[in-house]
Amino acid sequence: MTGADWIDLRFHRTLYAGEAVDEAVQRYRRHIECELREHPEAWHVRLRALRPELTVRVAHELANYALGLTVQRGGPTP
Amino acid sequence: MSVPYPDIPEGLVAVDAAEAAVHMHVDAALYPLQAVYGAAYVFLDRCYVFLDRPEPGRIRVTLTARGGQADAGALRALIGEFANELLSCAWRHQITQDNRVLLETVTMQAVAGAMGAPSLDDLASFDFSDQGFDDPLGIAMSWEEKHGKKPKPPGEVAP
Repeated sequence: MTGADWIDLRFHRTLYAGEAVDEAVQRYRRHIECELREHPEAWHVRLRALRPELTVRVAHELANYALGLTVQRGGPTP
Repeated sequence: MSVPYPDIPEGLVAVDAAEAAVHMHVDAALYPLQAVYGAAYVFLDRCYVFLDRPEPGRIRVTLTARGGQADAGALRALIGEFANELLSCAWRHQITQDNRVLLETVTMQAVAGAMGAPSLDDLASFDFSDQGFDDPLGIAMSWEEKHGKKPKPPGEVAP
């Protein structure tokens, strides 16, 4: 992740549950603009916070949230 | 810029001071994914945790300090504690795997005991003719059934 205007998060399918990533995006939806893409190996989330100075922080929080939900689900394929 | 720590084998851990992040490469053959999850979950409230798989068989764990600022010593301590937690989780996972059958057996017996003994009505209505399993090799057959004298077919004359 970088401090650029937009941030690309790449959630590997063998490590993150797709539902967890979706739920995390929905959780932060009102704070960000984002694009979701599905790739063969990963879920891609491209995001930018509505307040640009918070983009990096929101991206980190979203990734943490997605990981927490994935762990609670028991992994990508419970 | 990534700089390795001199007290850790090269290629395992690298610190990125500009991003206040430290990366650790985990061998998936040594540490099961559930152990990585367990250690990561413990650290979610202390730092930002991100997992990636740069190549099959390896997991890259990235820990980023909250607030975006941390010196190399703090990051070194963070990844050291994470490694300890990872080892602990891997060991507990191994113990759980080793004792899975025992745990399931004890749990089954506890549940069965809590249900109480079957009543006479339950026994009267129980279908004992139900075959619980296939026995193609005849393991469950008695010695007489398997090797005893077989009745002669009708019409055959004894010598």
